[in-house]
Amino acid sequence: MPTVDIDPDELRDLTGHEEKDDEELKDDLFGLGLEFEGRTEEGAFELEFAPDRLDRLSVEGVARSMRYQYGDARGIHVPSPNSADWTIEVDESVPDERPYVTGAVIRDVDLDEESLDSLIQLQEKLHATMGRKRAKGAIGIHDLTMLKGTAATEGNPTIEYVGVEPDGDRFVPLDSDAEMTPAEVLEQHQTGQTYADLVSEYERYPAIYDDIGLFSFPPVINGRRTEVSTDSRDLFVEMTGTDQWTIDKMLNIVCYALAARGATLEEVTIEYSDHELVRPDFSTKTKTVAHDRIETILGIGLDPDEVIDLAERSGLEAEKEENEDGDLVYEVTIPPYRVDVLHPLDIIDDLGRAYGFNELEPRYPDVGTVGGRHERSRLERAVREGLVGLGFEDLLNFHMISEAENYDRLDVSPGEDVYGAGEPATIKEPYSEDFTMLRTWVMPSLLMVLERNTHRAYPQDLAEIGFAAEIDEDENTGVTEGRRVGAVLASHDAGYEDAKARLQALARNFDVELETPPTDHPTFISGRTAAVVIDGEEVGVIGEVHPKVLVEHDLEVPVSAFEFDLEALR
Amino acid sequence: MQLPAQQVAVLEIASADEATSVDALAAATELPPETVTGAVFELEDEGLVAVSERVDETIALTDEGREYADETLPEIALYEAALEAGADDEPVSMGQVIGASGLEGGAVDIALSNYARKGYGVIDSGEITADADADPAADTEANALAELADVDDAPVDSVDIDADTLDQLERRGLLERHESTVREVTLTELAVTELMAGIETAETVGQVTPELLTSGEWEDVEFAEYNVEADAERFEGGKVHILRQTAERVKDVLVGMGFQEMEGPHVDADFWINDCLFMPQDHPARTHWDRFALEQPTHIDELPDDLVDRVERAHKEGVGPDGDGYHSPWDEDFARALALRGHTTSLSTRYLSGEEIGDLEPPQRYFSVEKVYRNDTLDPTHLLEFFQIEGWVMAEDLSVRDLMGTFEEFYSQFGITDIQFKPHYNPYTEPSFELFGTHPTTGELVEIGNSGIFREEMLEPLGVECDVMAWGLALERLLMLMYGFEDIRDIHGTLCDLELLRETEVTY
Repeated sequence: MPTVDIDPDELRDLTGHEEKDDEELKDDLFGLGLEFEGRTEEGAFELEFAPDRLDRLSVEGVARSMRYQYGDARGIHVPSPNSADWTIEVDESVPDERPYVTGAVIRDVDLDEESLDSLIQLQEKLHATMGRKRAKGAIGIHDLTMLKGTAATEGNPTIEYVGVEPDGDRFVPLDSDAEMTPAEVLEQHQTGQTYADLVSEYERYPAIYDDIGLFSFPPVINGRRTEVSTDSRDLFVEMTGTDQWTIDKMLNIVCYALAARGATLEEVTIEYSDHELVRPDFSTKTKTVAHDRIETILGIGLDPDEVIDLAERSGLEAEKEENEDGDLVYEVTIPPYRVDVLHPLDIIDDLGRAYGFNELEPRYPDVGTVGGRHERSRLERAVREGLVGLGFEDLLNFHMISEAENYDRLDVSPGEDVYGAGEPATIKEPYSEDFTMLRTWVMPSLLMVLERNTHRAYPQDLAEIGFAAEIDEDENTGVTEGRRVGAVLASHDAGYEDAKARLQALARNFDVELETPPTDHPTFISGRTAAVVIDGEEVGVIGEVHPKVLVEHDLEVPVSAFEFDLEALR
Repeated sequence: MQLPAQQVAVLEIASADEATSVDALAAATELPPETVTGAVFELEDEGLVAVSERVDETIALTDEGREYADETLPEIALYEAALEAGADDEPVSMGQVIGASGLEGGAVDIALSNYARKGYGVIDSGEITADADADPAADTEANALAELADVDDAPVDSVDIDADTLDQLERRGLLERHESTVREVTLTELAVTELMAGIETAETVGQVTPELLTSGEWEDVEFAEYNVEADAERFEGGKVHILRQTAERVKDVLVGMGFQEMEGPHVDADFWINDCLFMPQDHPARTHWDRFALEQPTHIDELPDDLVDRVERAHKEGVGPDGDGYHSPWDEDFARALALRGHTTSLSTRYLSGEEIGDLEPPQRYFSVEKVYRNDTLDPTHLLEFFQIEGWVMAEDLSVRDLMGTFEEFYSQFGITDIQFKPHYNPYTEPSFELFGTHPTTGELVEIGNSGIFREEMLEPLGVECDVMAWGLALERLLMLMYGFEDIRDIHGTLCDLELLRETEVTY
């Protein structure tokens, strides 16, 4: 899970609880679902967070939640930004893949090292989560005093969001001294290389201009000219992305964090070709939550006043109402920084957290049902008991294997018309070359176990009832899956008859008719190999493993073996 | 009559008139005394001999006694020195006599304390006198030592020494007494009769054979004794795999709690694995880093069209009058893409949708203990494929308290108590809880599962109109918690150690 670094001193400062020691803070943070993982080199708390409350990705947001938890804050607080001065004009040349932009002006910020670090961390965490590694939303923060906006007809300064040819213009990116074209940034600049995949397929690259020229190349990198430092007093925040709602919400979270530091917010007008937006959008949403549903989910009775109190302590506001059917409901208002409230259930979860889930008394549900095993699972258990009764050690191997292990080392090839050598279901991006496909039979796994245990006492009689799969175009998933009964007998005098005797015993246990007509199979010695035919159907193979395969597996004792479909015993 | 050889030998040596000791029998039969003793007791049980026991006392000189026997008693040495010094005439100084006697150390005290007692003279004020009439040759103690010097453990009645002298020597630590039990055997009348009738030697038998049984010969044979305490050759019986045993136990518990077992495909469409769980398609967990997408085959053929529509709508618009969807793209092609399931919740969505066994009416309980696949780092506690315990309960108006009660009941079956519920976030459950439990041996608080109440955005498209609560847990984690394994790779997979599997304690 992702982590966020929070300086405990800043947290004490922003919550106004100077008296809380570190241990108390840790407990309070755990209550919010922020788990203490350790400390950074600078002594900040490293906290693990569940990725729903993205409004808590910085110390400002965490402090806000704690003030609600402590009861120092109640209900909803919405800042009032000043009216827009600046405009972002969206040009028609903007790449279709990344059409959306949003922004805000922040004035009178007082950035010290800590608060600047916190701002940068918030930006990075938002990129990683909501921004989907900048693909969905990317944030650019600039020193406003370095921007020169065109005085348009109404006298408002304007910047432009446009699309440029990959080599259509030059600018000096952050962490560089040289002027580069956007295409050169992708090739030569470290940050450019990291994010090149996001835009390299675009015909035109996203770019933001002021009067002086190109100053931001979203979602890759900002220009050096507008770089923010602790001297910056006024900021320009822009965000571009593939979804307007997402970047607007990211903007709200950043604006709330800066406002918590005493900054003044100022709106920005976004001019699309066919409509206009004013941002940040601090409008609140409401959802209707039924009192009855709160009580059934939490399993307790509550007074309406209690519900309203719990809502306010969660940073929400609730008003008691009656719906059309005369039932008690609440109109719950949700603050503009929340991105996780999709459904009334999410509000009930908030109320439960404010109440304290661990205060609830567990109870065993009074619901009567009848239990039972799946038929296949019962069959598998019965066959496994049969195998163990015959003296086999029951094994459990991986379903993923490599082509070499599954085919080559047993002297068969994919799709060959012999038992076990079906076409493989292959994995697109395997963990390693040892796990590139699903095994098509269990025999390879059993031979691998023999191979790794040659230093252990013989006889080694091993069996596995295991999953195997192969391509089958008639199946809905394109794969036929099944369980195979595989067994190997390895000892100085293991022979065909030993395997056959045990197979016969199994067949008798399950009252099926077993025949073993001779067959050829490259894994086994010719003339000592038979098809396993159960109730008239060919379902497997039995034989003495070929010396070529034994030597390949570094085995110095004979091995006899069989494998067949579990279903045949049904 | 037939008897074992050693019993026959004893009968032939023993007499009806005179008791014969076991030692004598052993010497005569050339059998070890313990074998003869065993035979004697068996014969006594059969009424063929009478056994009497008596306690024999024997005496022997101690090392000190033997030393005086070789040389002379200290008091005699003193007496002879005193005579030499003329102490029979007038008292002589002690120092002079002792010096002349050659006595040293403890022997001086011994000589002095016995000198007067035995009438060799008088010791007074540092001077010594000797009685000229005393006769060392008549000293009974010295004579007794001389007699015993050459015998070991002589029976007390075999020596000609009076009891007082023996007691005195024992008090002086010059002689030891030993007691030993002597068994003596006399033939009974029955034995005499049988001997006259003739007793044959029975042969001993190594193995019970079919012939022995059918011929009735077994009645007359004696079975050779085995060393029943010795270890036998090692035998490798088969055993159900430890992880399977654990899975079986979990299944037993869940069936006992009223759960039915689910099963379904390992290779499945992302639709069933993720989309039906209201997991947005751009969720980080759905990227290739966690997921094993298939290269071949690539897509599922059929998905239920109306369900696909409902799921897509839930993702885009949410569910219910106040529901919001995700602001994420939704692409049916991605939903149809095949992958190895990352959790068995894909079985739950198949069952809940009615796709697997038809529509389900509440109440229902379902579970599975099946494999899932995660593209995670392979290490001692993480495998690329592991077993997930999946369970859910479908009923009207389920609450968080029901969920807590169910899990407490489940985990208590495995000795895990004091379950704590930490509020958590999952895209498909709300409220959601991580479950923490106390390790049964270390007492540590460890994460043991993830749980919650399925969201309406998940249930409504699936056509479920009541509540469903669910949880998941890795079986390997439960195994490691319960039995303390440290590296799961020793057990699960082709790197397994056969010896470990053979030696592992069974569970029940």
